[in-house]
Order: sequence, then structure tokens, then C-alpha cells
Amino acid sequence: MLRLISLFLPTVFPSWRFFKTVAPSPRIEYRLIEPGQSEAYAVGGWQEDRPRPQHLRLGQMLRWMLWNPQWNEQLYLVSCAERLIEAPSQHSIDEINRRVARLLPQGSQALQFRLVFLSREGAQVVKLVEYESTPVLLAQLQEGPA
Amino acid sequence: MSGALFLERGLTAAQAMGWMQLLLAFAIAQQSLEHLALGALALRDRMIFVSRLLLCLGLALGLGGPWPVWGLWGSGLALLWRYQGPYNGGSDKMTMLILSCLSLAYLAPTIFWQEMALSYLAVQLALSYFVSGWVKVINPEWRSGSALRDVFRFSAYPVSEALRGLAERQRLLWIMGWAVILFELVFPLALLNPIALKLALLGAAGFHLSNACFFGLNRFFWIWLCAYPALIWFQDRIF
Repeated sequence: MLRLISLFLPTVFPSWRFFKTVAPSPRIEYRLIEPGQSEAYAVGGWQEDRPRPQHLRLGQMLRWMLWNPQWNEQLYLVSCAERLIEAPSQHSIDEINRRVARLLPQGSQALQFRLVFLSREGAQVVKLVEYESTPVLLAQLQEGPA
Repeated sequence: MSGALFLERGLTAAQAMGWMQLLLAFAIAQQSLEHLALGALALRDRMIFVSRLLLCLGLALGLGGPWPVWGLWGSGLALLWRYQGPYNGGSDKMTMLILSCLSLAYLAPTIFWQEMALSYLAVQLALSYFVSGWVKVINPEWRSGSALRDVFRFSAYPVSEALRGLAERQRLLWIMGWAVILFELVFPLALLNPIALKLALLGAAGFHLSNACFFGLNRFFWIWLCAYPALIWFQDRIF
């Protein structure tokens, strides 16, 4: 009950501090590992989950005003990634695992994700890996609903 | 009716609530359909979103009195629990804030308390712009334009890689950044005049539209619009 109250109160007493600072920004990367093998047997390297398109036409942007489920899910995954660093929970891990797995072809490999945070140091944008998940069988993630 | 007369018109509390409910029905139905379109939802999630769609239908058609509002508030709580917080950040918070204020307005024993509930929403809406401007203007990185540059350069929000190129347009970003900061800071002053308020709300809607185009924040556009009738009523009632 206390947890529910703590989730509800910020909605009726919001802080409205949008973009107070531009904090390090998370990206989710994943890789597939052959079953029963160590991480050295990864199939290929780390790949960015849902890379954004190179270009988007104005018409597409305007269509997104009405219909944008994939992008909104991607923003939710950004929230999960931030929560996982600020207050680690199995909920955030499960949400990321299932939603990344949902878009992958079925396979017998294990899925592992990591969180890479981008930030600016001086004039350079730097990447820092802040979290690596425990590999989970893809089939196990894909059999249940997200 | 001339344009100026139209812009000067206020709303009664009942009219404001009616408009908010109609706009909410659209905004929440849009959110629910987006969730259902993702597929592979657990049965309990599917049930929540289908029930929200039905409640939106009731809200839009004016069926069931306050029950659709209370039902949407209850299912909003269930979603906060399901996602352990908002699914879509500030837009979900605004959805719950509007539903909470409307729910209280219906529960209010007297007109006075009904007006208090609507006033709270109106004040929070004005604060959503002012506080957002204030936290930027006190930050040297926003004042210099480098914060907005970082938003385009490496944040998760730009909807395409090509938009990241805007990070190199420093003068443009400086102007855009200051335009947003000043607009947000002076927004509450628009409450002093009904025409100024309507024009400010039009400008604010344009701001949300640009955020939706650049950063894919479509839900913010629709849900902030839902709260505007409360502010139009508030301005007419107080000033």
C-alpha cells in the first residue's frame, strides 16, 4: 500500500522540472550467447536495441502525433534503464529483457543486455557501460507475454 | 461572433469539465490503443486497456455520470502499479492529475470544493510551464545554449539521427532555448487577460507539437490540451 501511495503522490504533486539538467543518457545494447556456453561464445558483438532511423520525413513525424506505440515503448525502456541504475529492481530487468526479446527472431540462444550511458565530458561525448545483465534464455523470454 | 469576442469568452465549470472529459476520452483511448497495438500483452494488461477504452467511450458519450472518470482513475492506479511508475513520464503524471482533479470535482459536496479541485488543476498547469522555465533559467548550461545542444547531441529523445545535426546549429539552438525559457516564465502572466491566455495556450500547443515532432512526445501534446479548459475557466472565474 505504501508503495502504491509513493507511486501515486508524484502524480498529484508533480515537480514539473523537465530537462532541469541533461543527465547521462542510456542506450540498451544486447547480444546473443550460444546455449550452455560462457559469454566468450557470444554470437556477434553488442548491438543497439531499436536504433533510430537516419531520417524521418515531416509526414511521418505528423503521423506519429496520432500513432507512435513503438517509440513510446522505447521511451519506457529509457525510464526502465534509468530506474535500474537509480534503484535496481527485478521489474526493470524483466521489462527490458522481455521487450528486447519480443523483437528478436526465435532462437535457442541466451539474451544478455547492457546499459551504456552517454554523457559529455568537455567537448567529447563519452560512453560508459554501467550495467550488464545475467543472460536469460531467449525462448523463456519469448514464450510469456511482455 | 467575431474572433476577438470568441477569444474573450470564458467557460463555466460545467463546460470546462465537459470539454476536459471529451478531450480525455480521445487522449486516453489513443494511449490505450497504442498499448494494445504492441501485442504480446499479459491478459491482465489487456483487460486494463480494453476496460479503459470502454470507459473512454462512456466518457465521450456522457454515459454513466462520473463513473467513467472514477473508473479511469482506478485503472490509472493499476497501471502505475503495473509499470512501477509512469509508462510515459510526465504525460502519464498529467493524465493522473487531471483524472484526480475531475474525480474530486465530482465527489465535492459543494460548488466551492468543486471549484477548488478545478483550481488546483489550473494552477498545476500554469506551474508546469513556469517551473520548467525556472529550472532552466537558473542553470548556466541552459542560459548558454549548451544544454539544448546536449539534448540533440546525445540524449535519447531525437527521433532520427539526422536531427542530431541540429546540435551544430549553435546560434539557432541558443535562440530556441531562450524562446522556450522566456515563454515558460511569462506564461502565468497570460492569466491577466482572456485573449492573452488563449494566445498563450495556442503558443504552448505549438511548443508541444514541436516536441512531438522532434522528440516523439505525442502523448504530451494531447494530454496537456486536455487540461486547457480548466485554465480558461480559472482565468474567467478569478480575473
